[in-house]
Amino acid sequence: MMASAPTVFIVDDDASVRTSVTRLVASAGYAVRAFVSAREFLACAPAAGPCCVVLDVRMPGLTGLDLQQALANATHRSAIVFITGHGDVAMSVRAMKAGAVDFLTKPFESEDLLDAIQRALAKDTHDLGTEARMTEIRQRVSRLTSRETEVFALVVTGMLNKQIAAALGIGEKTVKVHRARVMEKMRAGSVAELVRLADAVGVIAAKT
Amino acid sequence: MGPTSAVVAIVVILVETSLVVWLLFHRARGGRAQRLLEGRLRFEALLAELSAKLIHVDAGDLDAALEGALQQMIAFLGVDRGNLDEYVAAASGIRVSYAGPGIAELPSILLAHEQFPWTAATVRGGGVVRFSRAAELPAEAKTDRESYARLGTRSHLSIPLRAGGPMLGVLSFDSVRDDRTWPDELVDRLRLLSEAFASALERKRMELSLAERLRETARLRHELTHIGRVSALGELTASLAHELNQPLTAILNNAQVAQRFLGTDVPNLPEVREILNDIVADDRRATEVIRRLRGLLRKDPPEQVPLDINDVVSAVADVIRHDMGVRNVPMTLQPASGLPMVRGDRVQLQQVVLNMVLNGLEAMREPNGRDPALVIRTSRAGPSSVSVAVEDSGTGVEMRDIDRLFESLYTTKVDGLGMGLAIARAIVDAHGGRLQASNNAAGGATFEFTLPVDVEQRS
Repeated sequence: MMASAPTVFIVDDDASVRTSVTRLVASAGYAVRAFVSAREFLACAPAAGPCCVVLDVRMPGLTGLDLQQALANATHRSAIVFITGHGDVAMSVRAMKAGAVDFLTKPFESEDLLDAIQRALAKDTHDLGTEARMTEIRQRVSRLTSRETEVFALVVTGMLNKQIAAALGIGEKTVKVHRARVMEKMRAGSVAELVRLADAVGVIAAKT
Repeated sequence: MGPTSAVVAIVVILVETSLVVWLLFHRARGGRAQRLLEGRLRFEALLAELSAKLIHVDAGDLDAALEGALQQMIAFLGVDRGNLDEYVAAASGIRVSYAGPGIAELPSILLAHEQFPWTAATVRGGGVVRFSRAAELPAEAKTDRESYARLGTRSHLSIPLRAGGPMLGVLSFDSVRDDRTWPDELVDRLRLLSEAFASALERKRMELSLAERLRETARLRHELTHIGRVSALGELTASLAHELNQPLTAILNNAQVAQRFLGTDVPNLPEVREILNDIVADDRRATEVIRRLRGLLRKDPPEQVPLDINDVVSAVADVIRHDMGVRNVPMTLQPASGLPMVRGDRVQLQQVVLNMVLNGLEAMREPNGRDPALVIRTSRAGPSSVSVAVEDSGTGVEMRDIDRLFESLYTTKVDGLGMGLAIARAIVDAHGGRLQASNNAAGGATFEFTLPVDVEQRS
């Protein structure tokens, strides 16, 4: 899981801050990539390994909070450490609620930033594991036929085969066959496990 | 010669004698009367001259005029010493004193009232104190009598100075070499003179208090302008704090990284050198932020100096540039080249531009369908004036509000003092210029002020 070295992205429009933080983070042994704006950061390819973002809140163009929102909308995992010159409470609450790891007020102690980066990377490593698992589950789901997907969605709601057959207008035996294929393709040993898998990737039952 | 002729001769002698005596007598009387008349005329002329002088004298020259008048009076009256003392709430006001050679000055009977309690009380009550010999003073004036004796006063006259209003001081004459009388007629004339003195003093007091009031008004206006500037900068506080925090953050990070480097076995000295260079640069940057701020917060009295209006505008742009970035408002500076100098106070004119910019930003705070943009333009407005315009793409100005815009305390803002534009207009007016607002054809408003070109530059 720790195949690539952790990467720290730095997004700050201020050249002095950007350079000094880059220097600090690099001195702690991380790979660093610095960006002048949120847009520039969004345009770059995401890191394969664990990573985190040190993000200035107030920037011309997209602000740090806008970027956090954009990453969340793109269901992109993100471990963000905010740094701000003017930390007002409302802003930090908003950032933390949206999942930020920390919110540091400039000027901050380098140790505090390095600690926060460490925590952010730990979170990302964890998220990365979850993400890999999700990708795996999604791949399994993608291998289902459309009929199997329909059966899958109904099985996890706790419906009996008979009810599923009625709902889909097919024979009960056919349901049984599909159900066995679903269990096999999803690599689920029990209905309970199938439900967990469905929950993880958000397969919502189509209510009729 | 018979007895008859002897009688006639005696009669003739008697008549001649009596004629001579009569003539002599009359000549003597006529001479005295004439002298008296002449003396009186000279006195009247002197009084008229002094009164006229005192009426026309400037407040600043009053002391000298009073001193001259007193000397002339002392010389005319032939007394040895005299005082003119203004009385200002127990403190000494103007004091003019003159004493002949070898004679000590007479103290002010009002200030030294413990030595002259009776005299001071009488004068303060509007009465005249006069005596040919100290013995004439009443029994209750015992202390006064002793004081006069100690000072060698033989005859004395003190007349209160008043011009219809309260007592303003006292005019005193004193004789030490011989006794002299103070006839009613003389005292009456001197009362007239004292009135002229008093009205001059009163006029000076009024002029002083008027000057004082004008100074106070100017001071308050200056203070208010300064408050306006502080509150205008208050609106920028967040972005200024940010601007200071950036270099401070960089300095702290860099210094701590350098410490880490120096703590290793083989310190990366070239890197440390680079770090130190960055620290120095960031420190200079922080200093520059503070210098710009200080420039705007300066509280020196306003001064009129030749200025390049483009310098004024760019100093403001430097202060607000960061704020504009954070607000996502692009700012465009369009300075005209070759503008003639204007004359004015740098800080105040910067304040006008700053207030106009803040006003423009305020107008663009709520989204209105147009992209926010601010243009600051300087141009030549005519043969003898230049102009500075701040154009925004905000909500524009309500035409019915337009006349009230520049009134103090008028504001459509939620959190404004409502002083910004009023102060701006007052400053522009004081510089002989005009500040006005208009709506742009494409939306938004333009605030523009003109300033006259420095006279020495006018072509």
